[in-house]
Amino acid sequence: MMLSFFKWMGELEFSKALGASVWQFALIQALHLVCLAVFAGAILIVDLRLMGRALTDRPVAQVAREAQPWMIGGFLALVVTGVPQMMQNALREYYSIFFWIKMVFLLLALIYTFTLRRKVTLAGEANAVIFQTKMVGLVSILLWAMVAIPARLIGLFS
Amino acid sequence: MLMYIRSVFEWVNEFPSSIGIRESIYLYPAILTTHIVGMCTFAGLVIMMDLRLLGIGNTTTSISQIQRRLFPWQMVGFTISAVSGLVLVYAQPMRFWPNVFFWIKTVMMLVAAANVAAFHYGAYRTVAEWDNSIRTPLGAKVSGGVSIVLWALVIMSGRLIAYNWFQ
Repeated sequence: MMLSFFKWMGELEFSKALGASVWQFALIQALHLVCLAVFAGAILIVDLRLMGRALTDRPVAQVAREAQPWMIGGFLALVVTGVPQMMQNALREYYSIFFWIKMVFLLLALIYTFTLRRKVTLAGEANAVIFQTKMVGLVSILLWAMVAIPARLIGLFS
Repeated sequence: MLMYIRSVFEWVNEFPSSIGIRESIYLYPAILTTHIVGMCTFAGLVIMMDLRLLGIGNTTTSISQIQRRLFPWQMVGFTISAVSGLVLVYAQPMRFWPNVFFWIKTVMMLVAAANVAAFHYGAYRTVAEWDNSIRTPLGAKVSGGVSIVLWALVIMSGRLIAYNWFQ
């Protein structure tokens, strides 16, 4: 069922049109990386604060509130520039183990970011850094790294 | 001068260690992925600081604090991406030499470094006067905006090195 969905996606006019223009596709790839940098910055600034490694004289909640628009904006831009890449290479993605590793960790990272991490960051009005908050920050960095690293490997091993 | 640089690239291209990395199935992708992780850390945190300079992000934190506290992590990211980037060039010098995007990237990095110097010896000298203010002086805004554009161009041209157009 999943295979037929990916086949259908690859056959769409939009996907074919993207594949026909190398410039267009390359530009989307390049923009995807810029969006990744913005998103990573917004994630890291909060995680480093949670871990007590940066901006420790600001409350976690404040750092998180200010980073949130850039995190969400960066993520949406990643989706907008990522989905066309997936559509154009639908079957390559389907048969790549790295694509599926990325998708599983993306799901886990999203759930984690909008549940536990969100709860801990928004509750952190005080400046205290404890073991639990350090772990929340570290796990967040590791989860998002596990999204970005296999993503780079899809194109290299296919 | 240009021919001298080219001969250095050609010379490195024949090093057994350069050929070894180039022909390794796993080493080259591993270094490339490390480069991306370093880039995310460096550029991501530089952009966070630039947004503060523009007065549109992280606005309740003072500029000197953002600068001081993020700098060590920016340097961690920079070191990872610089070392891995140099190894990538070391492994494939004659692939990079004729690539226009590689040279655009190199020039943009030099201009970005000049922008950092201009900020530190310019607008940042009076930071005590506007440290906590959302409204930053024009010099700081220009530095922040120029920095975002330049690092975006560095990232984009870096990605486009994969395409051998204009060769």
